[in-house]
Amino acid sequence: MSIILTHLRKSFGTQTVVDDLSLQIESGELFVLLGASGSGKSTLLRMIAGLAPLDAGQIWLNDRNVTGLVPQERGTGFVFQNYSLFRHMTVEQNIDFGLGIRRVPAAERRRRVQELLRLIHLEGYESRLPNQLSGGQQQRVALARALAYEPTVLLLDEPFGALDVKIRVQLRQNLREIQRALGVTTILVTHDQEEAFELSDRIGIIHHGKLVEVGTPSVLYRRPRTHFTATFLGDANLLPARRNGTHVYLGTIALPVPEATDALRNQPVDLLVRPEEVELAPTDGALSGTPIARGIVRSVSFAGPLERVNVELTPPVDGVRFVDALLTPHGAERNLLEPQAEVSVGIRSFHLLPRADVPAAV
Amino acid sequence: MVRERPRSLLPLVIVGIAVGYALLLLIAPLVAIVQNALADGLQPVIDTLTEPNVVHALEITFAMTVGAVIINTVFGLITAWVLVRQRFLGKTILNTLVDIPFVFSPVIAGYALIVLFGRNGWLAPSLIPIVFALPGILLAKTFVSLPFVTREVGPVLETLEPEPEQAAYVIGASQWKTFRAIIFPEIWPGLLYGIVLTLARALGEFGAVAVVSGGIEGRTETATMFVFRALSDRNDAAAYSVSLLLGLIAVFVLVALRLVRRGMKSSHRKG
Repeated sequence: MSIILTHLRKSFGTQTVVDDLSLQIESGELFVLLGASGSGKSTLLRMIAGLAPLDAGQIWLNDRNVTGLVPQERGTGFVFQNYSLFRHMTVEQNIDFGLGIRRVPAAERRRRVQELLRLIHLEGYESRLPNQLSGGQQQRVALARALAYEPTVLLLDEPFGALDVKIRVQLRQNLREIQRALGVTTILVTHDQEEAFELSDRIGIIHHGKLVEVGTPSVLYRRPRTHFTATFLGDANLLPARRNGTHVYLGTIALPVPEATDALRNQPVDLLVRPEEVELAPTDGALSGTPIARGIVRSVSFAGPLERVNVELTPPVDGVRFVDALLTPHGAERNLLEPQAEVSVGIRSFHLLPRADVPAAV
Repeated sequence: MVRERPRSLLPLVIVGIAVGYALLLLIAPLVAIVQNALADGLQPVIDTLTEPNVVHALEITFAMTVGAVIINTVFGLITAWVLVRQRFLGKTILNTLVDIPFVFSPVIAGYALIVLFGRNGWLAPSLIPIVFALPGILLAKTFVSLPFVTREVGPVLETLEPEPEQAAYVIGASQWKTFRAIIFPEIWPGLLYGIVLTLARALGEFGAVAVVSGGIEGRTETATMFVFRALSDRNDAAAYSVSLLLGLIAVFVLVALRLVRRGMKSSHRKG
């Protein structure tokens, strides 16, 4: 285990920012902490680096208890959202800073700086000053500076938050390659779900200072255990249902029990249906999945490669009046996508959640 | 049809007032000094400036000024750091105290030093004399030029982002190394500006120094006091000559200030 956090706690005044949080991260893993602003994710990262003192708990990095150590002694690499390069130093001096402190021999330092410049695709930029670089280039230099002295773990605090969308996508790929190549255990903090999906080996969803759920992107998306995760990651149609040993009942419709939901037997549950799993057809017979209701198309909106369709269920199913569907505009369903069209609504696949007593994420 | 507004005379008048005011109050005295000092050629100036009393006055003026600059640079930097970075009881009071030399009349400051360090003063020295001696001059010059470094460095320290420092700590730099490598280059232009202002103020100080030093000719008489005495003695040539030298130094300092300011602006743009 490369990073072990046990029962971390941190308050600012009366406000609890990190609340009894425990987590283990494997060596070489790229772990993404995903949460809204104010969820405590950046504070957690700063606690690991030693930049924010903690109230309780322990932090272990590579089998070393670093809880009481100053940042200098933890051996982490940290990348800030606003680059934070040393602005009066050249690119080379920035990257070399940590090597100089560690008294690495000069020849080795030059070799290492060149190697990192190659990794971040900035060969030939050694003598530039930070203000002569674009935001994306500055952030790559910041990454190289944090990697130069081979840190035990790499901590990235919203590293792409200040960049244009296009640059962001390029940098993500660059980061993933570098992280894979060096095998450095990494925690990246972000509020960007797409970024989390693309980069992470595993994602930890953080909310009000608590780790709500941890898992691979696909498991968290397809088989979340909480309403918060279900609604925080992507869009969700939630339909109240009942589950017994063999079937899930949505109103009078019996559906087969999905995998890994035995714990919810004989409990009130909600059916989680992602909009892309909702199917529309002229008749029940034309649906490939299970029909659940008839409905009327209320609105159609452009959503990039897909179209988002809002359907009113007639009659409502267990109090649920509307469902959202995501459809490909060229599919056979296209001619149904006119407002007021009458359709059959079906679902291709679904997942079960315990009935929510807590409000879901917005 | 585009109609041109009738040309207003107002801007011309305003510019005229500003320029005239500057010429009358700032340039005219300088010109007068230069003119009078050089009225009989360069020789009287050279004669005056090589006179032993004048040489001595200039020597102690420069030596005590440099002393005041060194003291105020070190303590001004520490004060600025403490006021911006530390939280402690009485911080507001300290912050206000720093400005006392700005509002105190230098003569009163000089008198206060006599009360404090004079023969029957609270802190009357037992070994070396302070009042009517060089240490008194140093104290007076230090007192009147105290706020500048603190007031120039403080605002720069306040605007520094915390992240580069934190980055340095995480990378492994000690606090001292971080100060030298990360913080000092940022505050350097402000510090230099403060030092130049301190220098100018300490060099030209008259009131406080006159009171505390006694102005003993050839012993505790500084350059500005020499000028004052020469004028009283109707020794105009000598007064003008020393004034010319001090004036030239002031102009040089002014130019240096402009250069430093420009440096500050361009380093600010980089950010």
